[in-house]
Amino acid sequence: MRRYVIKRLAQAAGVLWAAYTVSFLVLDYLPGDPVTAMASAGMDSGQIDPQQIAALRHEYGFDKPVLVQYADYLGRAVRGDFGDSVATGRPVTSTLADALPQTLQLTGAALLLAVLLGGGLAVAATYTTRRWLRQFLLSLPPLGVSVPTFWVGLLLVEAFSFRLRWFPAFGNDGLQGLVLPALTLAIPTGAQVAQVLAKSLLTALDQAYVETARAKGAGRWRVHLRHALRNASLPALTVVGLLVGQLVAGSVVVETVFSRDGLGRVTAAAVTAQDIPLVQGVVVFGALIFVTTNLVIDLVYPLLDPRIVVASDRRASFA
Amino acid sequence: MTALPDVRSSRWAALTALVTTGVLLTACGSNTDNSGSGDGPAKSGGTLTFAVGSDAGCVDPQQVGSNDTIYSVRQLVDSLTDQDPKTGKIVPWLAKSWDISSDTTTFTFHLRSGVTFSDGSKLTAQVVKDNFDAVPKLGALGTLAQGYLSGVTSTTVVDPLTVKVTFAQPNAQFLQATSTHSLGIESSASVKRTPQQKCSDGVIGSGPFVLKQYVQNQSITLARRTGYAWGSSRWSKKGEAYLDKLVFKVVPEAGVRAGSLQSGQVDAIGSVGRANEAALKGGQVTLQRRANPGVVFGLGLNNSRPELKDARVRQAILFAIDRQQIADTVFPTGTRAATSVLAHTTPDYTDLSSDLSLDAAKAKSLLDAAGWKAGSDGVRTKDGKKLSLTIDWIPNSATNQPALELIQQQLKAVGVQVTLKQLQITQLAPTLQSGDYDVAWGNITRADPDILRSNFSTRLANFYRVPAGSLDTALSAQAATTDAAKRKQLVGEAQQLIVQNAYYVPVVELQTQLGVSKKVHGLAFDASSRIQLHDTWIG
Amino acid sequence: MSQSLVDADADDPAEAAPGPTRPTDGTGTGPGPGRRIDVRRLLRFLLRRPGLLLSVVVLVLVVLASFQPGLFTSQDPLKGVPTQNFHGPSGAHWFGTDELGRDVFSRVVHGAQLSLKATLIAVAVAFVVGGLLGVVAGFVGRWVDDVLMRCVDVLLSIPALFLSLALVTALGYGTVKVAVAVGIASVASFARVARAEVLRVRQALFVEASRSCGARWYSVLGRHVLPNAAGPVVVLATLDFGASILAVSALSFLGYGAPPPAPEWGTLISDGRNYLANAWWLTALPGLAIAATVLATNRIARALDGEWSRQR
Repeated sequence: MRRYVIKRLAQAAGVLWAAYTVSFLVLDYLPGDPVTAMASAGMDSGQIDPQQIAALRHEYGFDKPVLVQYADYLGRAVRGDFGDSVATGRPVTSTLADALPQTLQLTGAALLLAVLLGGGLAVAATYTTRRWLRQFLLSLPPLGVSVPTFWVGLLLVEAFSFRLRWFPAFGNDGLQGLVLPALTLAIPTGAQVAQVLAKSLLTALDQAYVETARAKGAGRWRVHLRHALRNASLPALTVVGLLVGQLVAGSVVVETVFSRDGLGRVTAAAVTAQDIPLVQGVVVFGALIFVTTNLVIDLVYPLLDPRIVVASDRRASFA
Repeated sequence: MTALPDVRSSRWAALTALVTTGVLLTACGSNTDNSGSGDGPAKSGGTLTFAVGSDAGCVDPQQVGSNDTIYSVRQLVDSLTDQDPKTGKIVPWLAKSWDISSDTTTFTFHLRSGVTFSDGSKLTAQVVKDNFDAVPKLGALGTLAQGYLSGVTSTTVVDPLTVKVTFAQPNAQFLQATSTHSLGIESSASVKRTPQQKCSDGVIGSGPFVLKQYVQNQSITLARRTGYAWGSSRWSKKGEAYLDKLVFKVVPEAGVRAGSLQSGQVDAIGSVGRANEAALKGGQVTLQRRANPGVVFGLGLNNSRPELKDARVRQAILFAIDRQQIADTVFPTGTRAATSVLAHTTPDYTDLSSDLSLDAAKAKSLLDAAGWKAGSDGVRTKDGKKLSLTIDWIPNSATNQPALELIQQQLKAVGVQVTLKQLQITQLAPTLQSGDYDVAWGNITRADPDILRSNFSTRLANFYRVPAGSLDTALSAQAATTDAAKRKQLVGEAQQLIVQNAYYVPVVELQTQLGVSKKVHGLAFDASSRIQLHDTWIG
Repeated sequence: MSQSLVDADADDPAEAAPGPTRPTDGTGTGPGPGRRIDVRRLLRFLLRRPGLLLSVVVLVLVVLASFQPGLFTSQDPLKGVPTQNFHGPSGAHWFGTDELGRDVFSRVVHGAQLSLKATLIAVAVAFVVGGLLGVVAGFVGRWVDDVLMRCVDVLLSIPALFLSLALVTALGYGTVKVAVAVGIASVASFARVARAEVLRVRQALFVEASRSCGARWYSVLGRHVLPNAAGPVVVLATLDFGASILAVSALSFLGYGAPPPAPEWGTLISDGRNYLANAWWLTALPGLAIAATVLATNRIARALDGEWSRQR
């Protein structure tokens, strides 16, 4: 077990390092001249005179060879220093840390809603014996993944904020203000949970142990929940990492729609301002969320299903 | 439109006439001032939530020029003087009184005693000197404040509460300038910080509110300054402000702002466009309007661009624009099409409407004469090059984009191709300064015609790359003269030169329109159509 | 941004690759090229599924609109009558008019061109780059496979929208740049599926056979591996189509698409937000167009993936 944990941790670190490298390649290497981009985006950089450019170039180390720059940046990034935001001058790390709680609240609520709604839908659809109801329920997830989230958010605002006045249209005001954004964010994710879970539930219901349980005289509801769902949710767990990453990324759109403070809005503003250090911080942070979630799942998984350690090598490539 | 200088001392009588700007500022204000119209007595306490459309990325009043952010940062600082929005008269604030030399080169301010900044330090002549010494070094964002102090030779401390500002040349506009937020006084410790620090971390002022929290692009939170007792002589309440807290939320969409005001989520909103007027009328909302003085919304042409060096091309653009259509379609009810480079509420404004009428045929013939021939796709070409211009704009008002889309259509009709390029608010000033643009959309509010000098003098920033010439002479002369009639004539001359040479293409006046919940009382415009919230209360 | 959803739904590579659902004998049951489609059977297949039929109709209309917008509307999408602004939906203006009096239906129709172009570019980038990576990894194997697949794992670990946003930051704004950014963000899933398919086909008997007969590697690749591996990748492309429409419109909603007055679908909704309180149709109806298109392509993709092949 200990070796397993150490191996997982090493893999996670490896993925993070690689994600950082990707962001370095895309953001620092790809633009013809990041310094000019920064100089024109920065606030007190006024006239873009050659001297200033040279100074900036030196300050950011762009006058060094790419590999030296890379090593330099990586060294700082490992210590949690992603540099300062070009637009605000504040350190990237603290900018992200300040915005994070709001976004975690939002994505946490959305994940909860997604699992409840999506899971509930999958259970109901596979449990019901009425054909039309099953058809109807199973037609909802494809709908959920096809509607643009920003559109759903705006329709909800129109209906529940402006017409019915039940919830605020924007902002971070308490639980009330969380309802509409979390629901908006939960719809596509919940639909995916429903799709995955419904599929594995149907598979599980065909398995021998379900037959056995039935034969032993367990009630239909009991078999459905105790036996089938428990086993069906294990494979569904593996996509949670993907979904959490998606939720955090989805906050860019949802926080913009609801003018909510948080990581997503910081990201949108950073992209608009071509704030390269900040965008880089966000990208690596996204990977960190994904890796951490998967790490937690990987570590919890063997506890839920001891068989998994044997098969761990194939799944390793996901971490 | 008559200037009625309030003559206090014969020593500066002539000058008062000059600086009594904004005399005509009250024009077209429907219910501009509802202070005192409350039900029952005013109450202290409560929070005012105000939704604005944008954030300038900076909370230093000396560096902010965007109305949405001025609404909040104005509350952080006091100014030496204040300006009465009805009469345009300059009245005491931090300065109890002042003396101005007969040639308007030296200004001596006698400060009030007992004023403290929120860091505990006292207001002294030295603090004022520190401020005025620091302003010229503010950099790109501080151009407004720098313009007010241009030509300053020294600021000297006469005694702890007396400060003297000396200019190389007569400087008629300076007294009004001291009433603006741009020359709001910050503590000595505050002005010693770098411009960027002041922008992102805020400033220490002596104002009725202090900055509690600033989250860029999201919100600005202010709290009442306890022990405040040095309000402007214009304010009705003595001592501290009524409200405990002010929360300014950035909500970029005009529709969401309007809906949230209706549903009661916010108490007041900024820049209400024409589209949302109908929805807001009636119910629990009052619309407050006031025309802004200063340079009207228009196309700031980069006169050094090859295409735009040719006066005929610039004039063609001037004639191709249907100002009335833009004012009627996009802007709040009552907004006037531009009739000069200055808004009609600016002192010494001259009506040049005959030079600013729509004449597409004339625009086309001017372009023909300049050698730009109509191409097959409707875009004119010359030597194989298309007549294509990029207009840079910032999203600081919901009216900008639709107004520019109309301009785009109108210019297309005469064969000029326009591309719209949205900049971040923080990017505009550096872009103008660098000169790397074709056309920039904007306006500048100021209740003094000297704003023309700040904008068009080739001796100052000269963002529009105007060639040196007779315009400079007129602009410098109006700043130096002490004769009101002479100044009016010179300002008129400058307006004519700008419009006739089409250095700048005036389009439409800015009329500020706020939506305010009926439970908010005493929310009133100041002379520059911004707001001071000391007297505001919720009941 | 939900392209990974399609993986989870139908093509979770981890499950799909070794799964028994796909034919591995290569005797011609795979959706290989040159296979004649029986028109009558296709019609019958469609008629039994009204939802699918409707989806095909919607998609055909959208594609037509993007090539021949004149078929649907004669009104100018860029120029309206300013005095007739904010008219609600009516016979004259099906989707109402916007703040400058432009016909919204005409803007949606003309917008199809921009949005569909962007989507096609995005899918093409993902298909070509991802497919190439996958084929190389699967066919060459050994360390090349290891290296390429590690890279793919890393791309998968960055949420797709964040990756697209980083690319937009580096490349700048515009329809094509946004499309490329979206395409690159879904390269990883294509690479995985392509690799899995190539591995599957490579191990199949007939490939082993032709190899042992001394065929050159390129002829094995071109004649046997690619045609038989292409099917699932094409299915993924159709699934990715819907996700790409959503991703592209989300980016243009955020303001990274073409500048005004270009009527990209996401931009239309974002502009309409300013008038949410007084003109619901400016946001609701263009959004409906996006939702209908995505729904239609997803439905068709599902049919291609499962129902149709199962029928045969």
